[in-house]
Amino acid sequence: MKLTELKENDIAVVSGLSGDDRFISRITSIGLTPGSRLTVIKNDKNRPMLVYSRDTMIALNQKECSGIEVTEVGA
Amino acid sequence: MSEIVTIALLGQPNSGKSTLFNTLTGLRQHVGNWPGKTVEKKEGSFSYNGRIYDIEDLPGSYSLSANSDEEVITRDFIASGRADVVCILADSSQLDRSLFMTADYAGINVPCFLVLNMEDVAKEQGKRIDINIIEKNLGIPVVLFSANDKKDYDPFYKVLERAVADKPMINTSILEAGYDKISGYKEIKEMIPEGLIDGYSSMWIAIKALENDPVVMERLRESLDPAKTDRIDSLRDSIQGAVETGGAKFSWIDSVLEGAVSEKTEKITLSRLDRIYTDKTWGKPAVVLTILSGLILSFIPALPLMGVGMAVSALKAPVGKLLFSAGCPEIIISIINSVIIQSFSYIFQMLGFVFGVTLVFGLLEEVGIMARVSYVFDNTMGKLGLQGKSVMPFLISFGCTMGGAAGSRVIDNWGQKVLTIALAWAVPCGAAWSVVPMLSTLFFGPGAVLVIIAILLTMLLHMWITAKVFGRKLITKENRYGMIMEMPPYHKPKWGALLRYVLGRTKDTFVRVTRVVLVVCTLFWLLSYSFVSGSDPVLYRIGMAIEPVTKIFGLNWKLFMAFVASSIGKEGALGVISALFNGGNFYGAFSDAMSGAAVASDLNDTLISNVTKPEALAFIFAITFNMPCVVALAATYQEIHSVKWTAKIAGYYTIGALLLAAIVYHIGILIW
Repeated sequence: MKLTELKENDIAVVSGLSGDDRFISRITSIGLTPGSRLTVIKNDKNRPMLVYSRDTMIALNQKECSGIEVTEVGA
Repeated sequence: MSEIVTIALLGQPNSGKSTLFNTLTGLRQHVGNWPGKTVEKKEGSFSYNGRIYDIEDLPGSYSLSANSDEEVITRDFIASGRADVVCILADSSQLDRSLFMTADYAGINVPCFLVLNMEDVAKEQGKRIDINIIEKNLGIPVVLFSANDKKDYDPFYKVLERAVADKPMINTSILEAGYDKISGYKEIKEMIPEGLIDGYSSMWIAIKALENDPVVMERLRESLDPAKTDRIDSLRDSIQGAVETGGAKFSWIDSVLEGAVSEKTEKITLSRLDRIYTDKTWGKPAVVLTILSGLILSFIPALPLMGVGMAVSALKAPVGKLLFSAGCPEIIISIINSVIIQSFSYIFQMLGFVFGVTLVFGLLEEVGIMARVSYVFDNTMGKLGLQGKSVMPFLISFGCTMGGAAGSRVIDNWGQKVLTIALAWAVPCGAAWSVVPMLSTLFFGPGAVLVIIAILLTMLLHMWITAKVFGRKLITKENRYGMIMEMPPYHKPKWGALLRYVLGRTKDTFVRVTRVVLVVCTLFWLLSYSFVSGSDPVLYRIGMAIEPVTKIFGLNWKLFMAFVASSIGKEGALGVISALFNGGNFYGAFSDAMSGAAVASDLNDTLISNVTKPEALAFIFAITFNMPCVVALAATYQEIHSVKWTAKIAGYYTIGALLLAAIVYHIGILIW
């Protein structure tokens, strides 16, 4: 499923990334690589998503994170 | 020892790089541009233990890929070997993620050492870090400390000296073992001879080839058989190269940190403050309120310097009298008063504001609030091609445009910074608000409300059009990406580091701004001074000559002169009108108005009987959307370091203001 489909407090593991080179480079450098675990902190309409991964709170623009596939592992 | 050692600072945004740089260099720093580029270049120097160190603060970037000017500059500088040793920064509180830069660096043949910054935050989070393990795994010196604590710098200097003496490189054997598992990596690496590109190992180049790095691929195409580069392309396309290499880098980081970090795991929750800032309904009001309080607070540290500025202005009369009684020629007195004293009065008042704004908004950034501002306004500002932070200079500009320009320095991308300032100019500043409602009420009575609403709507339209006009050039497609950034944890501010930074910045501003203001004030003086007594100044003659043209904009020559004066300072516009309509001497009118001379008490009657309603409307719009003032011009130049763009924006606003005047004038004629 897509990262954007997750709800607050959902926990998931990144399963795949798709997008242009720049997006991949940027998302990798902030630590969201396949296999990394994340918790959704906030997912409001018209606001960037807030996820927590590798000890870091990360804000992700909704449009940008449509290229992130995840597997939900719990809530 | 006489040799100078050059060190370069490398780190992701929010790694505390600027704090380290500012604390090391203090006031011995210089801000400029990288040659031929629009990226800010910060250099400085310090001495320790009898040795001088030159320090280069490399542009903040997230990795060493080639996606932006910042990253290419950073990479080229390191590989050029101009730095004897590179200091890589990481955030101890987010060690795993922030070691990515180190992983991306591994394979560059330049000695380096690692600084694990923000020890204090990591400690607060209950993390314990064993640097001996990390040092052993990486093969380079490592120091754990807090850059914002000046007393804590001894360990940093010790590690720096070790790195300079030993020239250590990162041990890449485990990293490469991980890369070996990526399909195609070994084959690509074998095609690349060692030393193909100066400064980089063939491992590093092979990885960048897998990541489809445009700069590296171009170099490979120049030096390898086309058959080989075709093969590289097909190997890369058969897997997701960049995803694989990113994964390998993080696996290596995990192995480097194995057993080195112990922490309590706690449930992640938003702090109370973050719950307000990230609230769907209350987030925006909370951010606006924070910025406006910041603006008000910034007046407190600004007041003393502003007072100095006013005091300087008050010197005019006594100095003039003194020089006159000493038999000094009138022209010299005029130069001293209208150019020199006037300029420094402006400059000091401005420095006060720059000092206040830099201090308060530097504080907001250091504490971590600026990242929340970005988050809340990401969507809105994204529509203009800007970062969420750009909302802050816009709000400050309702008070003062030069504060807005100074506040724009928190925007880390040059193009977005220029565009933000260009748009902030459209926001009517405090001086406009002191003139416009008065004029509107005088001419339109209760209709003044409509005029002000029209001005606010025009402002929004102006900003939107300006974003279209300049945006395409300033903000390249690759910068039109939405937000992908970390929200740093809130930090307690360290006043020492912050004050050192603000003082450095204010000093820098003083030097640059003095030049600009003196040049503009001199030019203005030359145009408005009558050199032969009884003859008319150049500006007057021009005004008379082009009156047929300015009348199209609804401005007769007197109003046009007041418009010209308003680009130096809006408060001066009324004074000029007052003097000109009362038949005052042209030069005297300018000189007195600029220094804030009292407006004649019968100004209202004079205006009503001499100016028609459409003309008044044209004049109101013309001065509101004109260039804000000469100090805003100087502040803009100070922030964007580009004469070309400063001139472009100033020209655009002058023409834009006249066009707007023409439009509202002709609408006015239809109404009245």
